Amino acid sequence: MMIPIRCFSCGALISNKWEKFARRVKNGEIPKKVLDELDVRRYCCRRMILSNVDIVEEVLKYHEEAQKRRQNR
Amino acid sequence: MEIKILEKDVNHIRFLIKGVETPIVNALRRIMIAEVPTMAIEDVVIIENSSPMKDETLAHRLGLIPLKTDLDSYILPAICSCQSDLGCNKCSVTFTLDAETTDSPRTVYSKELKSDDLEIVPYSGDIPLLKLASGQKVRLEAYAKLGRGTTHAKWQPVSACTYRHSPTVRIDIEKCDLCEKCIKSCTKQILKKENKKIVLVNSDICDLCEECIKSCPTEGIQINKQVYIFKIESVGSLTPERIVIEAVKILNTKLDTIISQVSSFKKEKTV
Repeated sequence: MMIPIRCFSCGALISNKWEKFARRVKNGEIPKKVLDELDVRRYCCRRMILSNVDIVEEVLKYHEEAQKRRQNR
Repeated sequence: MEIKILEKDVNHIRFLIKGVETPIVNALRRIMIAEVPTMAIEDVVIIENSSPMKDETLAHRLGLIPLKTDLDSYILPAICSCQSDLGCNKCSVTFTLDAETTDSPRTVYSKELKSDDLEIVPYSGDIPLLKLASGQKVRLEAYAKLGRGTTHAKWQPVSACTYRHSPTVRIDIEKCDLCEKCIKSCTKQILKKENKKIVLVNSDICDLCEECIKSCPTEGIQINKQVYIFKIESVGSLTPERIVIEAVKILNTKLDTIISQVSSFKKEKTV
């Protein structure tokens, strides 16, 4: 649903780097370069960030819509 | 024993240990992973949660947050005199989270966790915990306790904690007859002939297969196996130096108990 707090394999903290990564990649930077600059060295941690999809964004849309309808009622 | 620090920054340390056997180095490694205590959130009381994230998922996420740990002012719940579920001020720290949003969706970060003790705070304030849609609310209380990696990996102070033999291949110039057999036998090709001498190039990739020793007809090559490079990466709860110091202390107490138990066994036998 959201980026896991720690890497599944080694236990290093990765979630605090996700938003910076997502923003920079969205602006057209190369993921490899961004990960290197964020000091994510091992491939276990790199795949955590590289392969993450924030599904909450999709779920939140429904909650937002429900709230809007509740207010209009 | 000799220790030399090769590299050091906030969360990493790389050092060289000389003159010890593998079992001791490995014992240190295992203690660092499983037995050096750190602090992590253990109990969560959820008062209100209308966010899309389930209570148990949220509690699990809270548990995994690395907390800056003060080992000197807190004790393990197992040895604390209070013996209560949620702990006392000697063995636990209370965190509260009170977050809501009215008009637009937002992310709740770990910096919004308010701690009882200003020394015990999340290592990073930028950890996204959950997302709230407009009109949603989260209120909870969390209790952090000291614990060990053996119980749960959230209490592990290190992420990467490894050691390896340092490649120290020594060539005896007096015994070497420049037959070049060692150069041919080396699987990583780190030996070279330069100015009528065998020299090491790029020795970092040596995997100590000892083929060069076997191939040498004059016993002119030696490898010192009692040199290790130790690499420790802290999760952020303790400084890497502190982790090593604590591990050594734990190893010492373990050895002391062995000595006392063996000596008491001896006495029993003589009686």
